[in-house]
Amino acid sequence: MSREDQLRRRAKELLTKEGVVMVIGYRAGKRPGTATPAFVTRPEDADVLVFDDRCGTNLAAYLPRVKHRGKIAIVAKGCDSRSVVALLKEKQVDRGGLVILGVGCDGVKEQGRLSDSCTTCIHPNPVICDEMIGEKVAERTPAPDPLDDFERLSPDERWQALMTDVSRCIRCYACRQVCPNCYCPTCFVDASSPQWVGKTTAGSDNMMFHLMRAMHMAGRCVECGSCSRGCPMGIDLMKFNRRVAKVVKERFGAVAGLNPEELPALAAFDPSDKQEFIR
Amino acid sequence: MTAGGEFSPKIVAFLCNWCSYAGADLAGISRIQYPPSIRVIRVPCSGRVDPFYILKALQSGADGVLISGCHPGDCHYLTGNYVARRRFAVLNDLLGFAGIDPGRVSFSWVSAAEGERFAEVVREVTEKVRLLGPNRKLLKEEVA
Ligand code: SF4
Ligand code: SF4
Ligand code: SF4
Repeated sequence: MSREDQLRRRAKELLTKEGVVMVIGYRAGKRPGTATPAFVTRPEDADVLVFDDRCGTNLAAYLPRVKHRGKIAIVAKGCDSRSVVALLKEKQVDRGGLVILGVGCDGVKEQGRLSDSCTTCIHPNPVICDEMIGEKVAERTPAPDPLDDFERLSPDERWQALMTDVSRCIRCYACRQVCPNCYCPTCFVDASSPQWVGKTTAGSDNMMFHLMRAMHMAGRCVECGSCSRGCPMGIDLMKFNRRVAKVVKERFGAVAGLNPEELPALAAFDPSDKQEFIR
Repeated sequence: MTAGGEFSPKIVAFLCNWCSYAGADLAGISRIQYPPSIRVIRVPCSGRVDPFYILKALQSGADGVLISGCHPGDCHYLTGNYVARRRFAVLNDLLGFAGIDPGRVSFSWVSAAEGERFAEVVREVTEKVRLLGPNRKLLKEEVA
């Protein structure tokens, strides 16, 4: 049986016999070569489900929004499963209310090319799941970190490059909407009393947004790349994400989305954390 | 801001109520001299300092920011400064990554008994920011 057949068959069983009210997976998108999230609630609709290298959206993002409906099954690649762990850590979802259908992932394609985030993926298989749909994929050797070249630039060059990039941001917040970590009922960008971030798309306000978004991702972002792929302006959000993930790993030895028992790195501390930057 | 042609920086200082603010007070009542560059904002704990406060100060025209709290182990709320320390470490790294000179933003631990140390920190931070010159990055022109 093909992986797709297995997925559809299990979705049907879960919806008919196992008390699941919704299966979150992917269906073919309207444009050829694309896939889009599918929310299957009736067994007869399970045949829309697909899984292949078009399926980039991090489905964990939907869990906080639908969990109140009952037991949810979710198709999870490596990164989606790590986001589920991140949500479990932050008590945003209940493990008992989830059926995690793990899928091994060969990387997501964007316009025919391997998506930037997938080039450095270290967990193509689910880190947590109830059952595997299809086989696990072989671990890959991650490509060199694309940040290496950027980090060799001078501080002024880095500032200029980032400023040029974020200046194009139209503040549509698609990057936030697709991110599993962004479940805050009121995002800091929407707060108006006080108004944290200016509403203009002036470089300074945009940079404030991007720096603060990056801060909010520290210790939580699983580097799935959903935000970068979702950005209509092609802004390289992964630059910020990669850097905060890197510093959290180097300084605190923590990697997001692996251990549900651990506190998120920035909610925890170690009395012996390095403090060479503090006078 | 310039006085007599020489650049004298504006520095926003977030001081925790229990240690560094009291340290600043001690510096004052002991008549210890330090540059009049800082504008103090008293916060309950260094853990109360959202990274946003720091960026906002720079955006609103501060040339530098100082954040100071109780020494590790001495937090009035026991662990506020430990949690803050992680947050500050990430922010400090991110600022450097974005090409904002980390010297613009300084962190220190100063206890209520360390009036002289407080003055020393302010002297150091002021000199560092003075050498960097006025803050241009992140500054929002309209509000400068
Ligand atoms: S999706 Fe892109 S354009 Fe929209 S707010 Fe995020 S970075 Fe800006
Ligand atoms: S950007 Fe920050 S405040 Fe906004 S939703 Fe995401 S985590 Fe919450
Ligand atoms: S910030 Fe982007 S890369 Fe990180 S978890 Fe959210 S969507 Fe994924």
